Amino acid sequence: MKKFKSFLKEYPLETIILTVAIILMILNPSKTLFGLSYALKTYLNLLPIIISVAFLMGFISEFLNKKTVSELIGRETGMKGVMIGAIFGTLMIGPSFIFYPLFKELREKGAGVNVIATTIGAWSIKLQWLPFAIPFLGLKFILLFDALILIFAILSGFVVSLFVKS
Amino acid sequence: MSNLIFGLSFLVFVSLLYLVYLSRDKKRLKRSVNKGIKTLIKNSIRLFSVFLIIGILKEFLSKEAVGNFLLNFQGFKGILSGFVGAVMMGPPASGYPIGKYLLENGASYSLVSSFLASWVMLGIVAVSMEFKYLGLKFTLVRNIFTIFSIIAISLIIGAIL
Repeated sequence: MKKFKSFLKEYPLETIILTVAIILMILNPSKTLFGLSYALKTYLNLLPIIISVAFLMGFISEFLNKKTVSELIGRETGMKGVMIGAIFGTLMIGPSFIFYPLFKELREKGAGVNVIATTIGAWSIKLQWLPFAIPFLGLKFILLFDALILIFAILSGFVVSLFVKS
Repeated sequence: MSNLIFGLSFLVFVSLLYLVYLSRDKKRLKRSVNKGIKTLIKNSIRLFSVFLIIGILKEFLSKEAVGNFLLNFQGFKGILSGFVGAVMMGPPASGYPIGKYLLENGASYSLVSSFLASWVMLGIVAVSMEFKYLGLKFTLVRNIFTIFSIIAISLIIGAIL
């Protein structure tokens, strides 16, 4: 009972989702089962990334110190840090939100909010999807689209650092 | 598939980090591994619920329905209606066919841009995770700016193409 209560406190949203899923399971089992199998497949497909992120966080908290992180991607590094974020975000694969816990850890270690915002912005570029996108929408459209996303991702770093302290 | 390949290479990279930097120091190794396991359990519960809600919602939003809804709008209204892309679920690859369908049926490039940009840049689920891990102020400022960016990107693409 005590364990259940602390679970509820730690994961309120997740408990609601689970309850909704159970109710839907009774009302519309076939659709809900599809949803459940989608969730399982996605989770397993992303499991190596999820494991890597968790252990990378363990590594960062023990090994990297504030000074190193803030020298590399701190707020004061300005354009250099933002460019590192832009390149990192462009090249990464998988949904960005898997990496948010990692960004939180890095932020506590001194990473700048401008760098984090640019990284999240550049994540929308999805370089790995390019071969799928071109046949549907054409090279010209996609290149223009991605170039604009990159420019606005870099701008967003500066805007966020104007309003958010650290 | 690309997720799996990337994930496995990422895993090798992290293992190498552990091997090179932590294998000699038992104490730090133990602390890192402990934190890693704790984080893994926590993130797994959070992410699995996210995937579950995506999976269930996906079953209720059909591609044709969304495409036909968007074709009702033109001009600046079209750009604004493109924001429904934010509630679309799943990888962006499933958005490209919808984009093509829209273009073939006479929608403007700006509408398609705003739809696809909202899909990749705004995601409802991503925003809730962002709020949880990066705080209210960060999430608000970044996403309001993203909304402006989407409108600007759509207008620029509409003007050029």
